[in-house]
Formats: sequence, structure tokens, C-alpha cells
Amino acid sequence: MKCGVRFCGGCNPRFERGAVFRKFQKEIPSIDFSHAVEGERYDILLVIGGCTACCASYGQFDVTGGVYKIWDEAQIEKVKEELLNI
Amino acid sequence: MLMTKEQYIESLRKMKTRVYMFGEQVENWVDHPIIRPSIDCVGMTYELASDPEYADLMTAKSSLTGETINRFTHLHQSSEDLIKKVKMLRLLGQKTASCFQRCVGMDAFNAVFSTTYEMDKKHGTKYHENFKNFLKMVQEKDYVVDGAMTDPKGDRGLAPSAQRDADLFMHIVERREDGIVVRGAKAHQTGTINSHWHIIMPTQAMREADADYAVSFATPTDAEGIYMIYGRQSCDTRKLEDGADVDLGNAKFGGQEALVVFDNVFIPNEYVFMAGEYDFANMMVERFAGYHRQSYGGCKVGVGDVLIGAAALAAEYNGAQKASHIKDKLIEMIHLNETLYCCGIACSAEGQETEAGNYQIDLLLANVCKQNVTRFPYDITRLAEDIAGGLMVTMPAESDFNSDLKVGRNGETVGEICNKYFAAAPSCTTEERMRILRFIENMCLGSSAVGYRTESLHGAGSPQAQRIMIARQGNLEGKKALAKNIAGIK
Repeated sequence: MKCGVRFCGGCNPRFERGAVFRKFQKEIPSIDFSHAVEGERYDILLVIGGCTACCASYGQFDVTGGVYKIWDEAQIEKVKEELLNI
Repeated sequence: MLMTKEQYIESLRKMKTRVYMFGEQVENWVDHPIIRPSIDCVGMTYELASDPEYADLMTAKSSLTGETINRFTHLHQSSEDLIKKVKMLRLLGQKTASCFQRCVGMDAFNAVFSTTYEMDKKHGTKYHENFKNFLKMVQEKDYVVDGAMTDPKGDRGLAPSAQRDADLFMHIVERREDGIVVRGAKAHQTGTINSHWHIIMPTQAMREADADYAVSFATPTDAEGIYMIYGRQSCDTRKLEDGADVDLGNAKFGGQEALVVFDNVFIPNEYVFMAGEYDFANMMVERFAGYHRQSYGGCKVGVGDVLIGAAALAAEYNGAQKASHIKDKLIEMIHLNETLYCCGIACSAEGQETEAGNYQIDLLLANVCKQNVTRFPYDITRLAEDIAGGLMVTMPAESDFNSDLKVGRNGETVGEICNKYFAAAPSCTTEERMRILRFIENMCLGSSAVGYRTESLHGAGSPQAQRIMIARQGNLEGKKALAKNIAGIK
């Protein structure tokens, strides 16, 4: 399964967004995570925002499945479980 | 196409920009120790644009070509774009703790784009097309462009055309079939040497007698007849000391200002955006100033974030972090800083579309934003100095801390004595304590204070300029009507 990852711009993040990306790459080997780029097709999209605004734009990406969002450290494990259960 | 930081620095080496400092010409200005930190600071606008963790803020889709461009060359297409601009500037302030110099060009693009559109509509000129073609080139090449507005202005009581020296305001000295020749200077120009091109704008509203001073154009920074005289910054020559590191406070990044002289510079017609349409000078000035006053609600906030962090570290290193007054001072600093951010976001969220199609900020809120910026960074630096303590300005030099010179009865060196007497909490080394105090010094009264303090006061217009705009936009009559209505006054 191919998962595009889109970060918010990181103006004032409350947690280390890149660490979440690396953690998921390591702990969910069944999913192929990569930085989302336009023109590529993804099964799912993971949006990692640094605060509650979670203002990353992602409408430009071609995604066939669901969009998962994280904007708080407390959501990391919950989203990880959801991704493991896909 | 986006440039990398390395490509940007190499592109500067190819330019023939004339730079003077301390009365001499600087041949290799790219590697000059006083100038280089400011180049690396602009370089961060390239570095972050190519990093996926920051791309959402740092890049945008060009409204002119549909290509992905650096947001610093973007025409705002929505309130969301205006908000993202403020967030991008905060991010860069956090990453550099300095003025990264590139916002002034972005603000010029957006002001000149909308003003030329309306100017053409009234006067039948072709400036808007000229500007669009110029901006397409800038976006494609990912150039840094310096927006230059501030003339030296001479006697403030006199109009441009009444000055005893006509060159005190930028003006047209010759009109040719293929272009114009301009003469004058722009003062306090941020990032001027680090820019590939310049956009020149009039400095104030003009009358008919000042038509030759109502001039806007673009020119390569190294065009024939242009040269720069570098501006001094507090403590700047520390950068010339051998092996200087800790004493610099911020060895990585810095700002840059210079006087830019235009000694009869030829501007081809295709790069002219205003040449005598004095009735539009004020519109260009107000729009540029509005955007630039919005900018300060982002960049200064990012620098403030770093200063607050530095103050908190200084408190920890001093072992004072649990004192209630220290906690309260840090809270006050955060409150002041986030208030500035609120203003930057608010004037962006209330943005509206111009006739030309790009978005501009709410002028009243942008001026309120900048008015607060003229004050709060001063309060924040006062609190940072309060927390840091006097050692910030009385500490011996880095070379003393490293000195092997024996001075003590038992053979202790100067370095050992310094490290003994300036040690504090066990959570840090003496060097770490020294580093954070020098860092605070740099922002509060060293070379970065140019950007964080005085630029906060005078950059994008001095406080009175905002008060004039607040008076114009404040709708006092509407407020009186509200009071009359409820008070029962007819």
C-alpha cells in the first residue's frame, strides 16, 4: 500500500512532525510511506500538521483511499493503529 | 524552477555587484565575513523550499505559469495565501533569528502588480504587462529581488522637486525612446547586495511638480551605474576577529542593509512600471507599506520565538527557572509575541481581492500590527535582558575563556579563572552559558538588534506613518454614530 505524506509548513509545531513520519516508516512496514508529490497516485494520504490548524494543503494530490490527519502528539498511536488495521 | 541554496550562492558569484565597505571596494563580497551570514540567511529561503517538511509554506503554484515556485515570488491568490505568507515568515525567523531579507521583494511584487493594473486602466499605459513578464522571469529563475522604496529624502519639509539637491529623491533625468535614465539613491536597503534584481518604487505620494520622481522600475543589481555602500551594524567587526564564534552570538546568520546609489542608470522600457504617473505614487506606496507591515507580524514573531527560548535557557543555566517572577516574565514575552502574530494573521484573514486579481491585506489591521511591532520587541528584549542578567554585557571575551596565560598564585590560567567564576547551574557548561548570553546580546544590542529592534521601529515605516493610516482607516465617524444611536443623540 502506498501512502503519500504531506506536512504542514511547520511555522510553530507543537511536536516534531518528521519524527512521526520516521516512526511510521519503521513501525508500519506494510505501508510504503513517501513524501507526497503531484502526479503520483496514492492509496492513502497522511497529513501531519504541527498544531490544531493542521493547515497543510492536500487537495492537489491523487488519493484513491482515505486521508488520515495528525495535529497532536496524542493522536499518533491512534492513527498508527488505524493504519495497521487497514 | 526552484534553486538550491548552493545554486543561489553560486549565482551571486557570477554577478558584478559593486560593494564598498570601510571606504574600500569589496571584491569577493560573497565570502566576506561581515556579509556572508546575511547571504546564508537568504539561503535559508531556498533550503527550506526544497524540504518536504516546509514545502507547504515555502512554495506555491504560480498564478502566471501554473508552475511550483518559491512563495517569496508569489502573487497572493487568496486570504489563505496571505496567512501562509505570515506563517512562512515566522518559520524563517525561527530558523535564522535574523532578518532574512526576501520579504521586501515579495511585498513589492504584490503592490506593483495591482497598482500597474489600475494605472494602465486610467492612463492607457502598458506597465502591467511589463511587470507580469518581469515577474514570470523572476519566478522561473527563482531570483531574489530587493524591493526598494526609501529615498534619502533630504529636507523633510520640502517636496522632492524643491530639494536643493535633486538626487535626494530617485528621479528620471532623461527620457529616451527605448527607456529612461534614473538618478538618486535608496537608503537602508535590506538584502540589497544579496539580490539578483531590484524593484524601485516611489518613496511617498507625489504631486504634478514631482512627476519625474514618480518612477518605478526593475533593474539587475549589477547594472552599469549601480553601487552599494554597506551599512554598519553594532558589533560588526567582531566578525573580523580570528576564530570568532561564541562572541558573535549568532555565527550562522545575520541581516544586511546598504545605501544603493543609482548614478545615471539606463532602464529599458520593458522594465519600467511607472514613469511620471504621479497620481498613482501614493497607491503603490500604501499597498507596499501595507504588505510590509503585515510581514512584520510574522518575521519578528519568529525571531521573538528564538529570543524567548534563549531567555528561558539563560534562566535555567542561571538556576533561576523556578522563580515565579522569571516564569511570569516568560509568560509576558509569549503574550506580547503572540499578540503580534494575532495581528499578522488577522490582517491576512481579512484580506480582499484587488482589481488585478491578487489579494491584499486589510490596511487598518496591518497598520495596527506594525504599530504593535514598533513597541513589543522592545518590551521583549527588555525582559530578555532582565532574565539574562548583567553578565550578558560584562562577560570577558571568548579568547579569555580559552586563554592559557598563567595568572593565578597556583598557576591557574585566565581561561580556568573565567570558567571557575562564570560557572552556574550544573545543567550547563560555562561555555554553553556564555553562548546563550552572547546570543541574547546579539539580538538585544548586537548586530541582530538592527533587525529585531530598530527595524521593528522604523522598517516598513516609522510609528507615525502607521498612526496616519490608522486615523484614515479607523472610521471614527462610524464609531461616533454608534455612540449617538445608543445614547439617544440625534
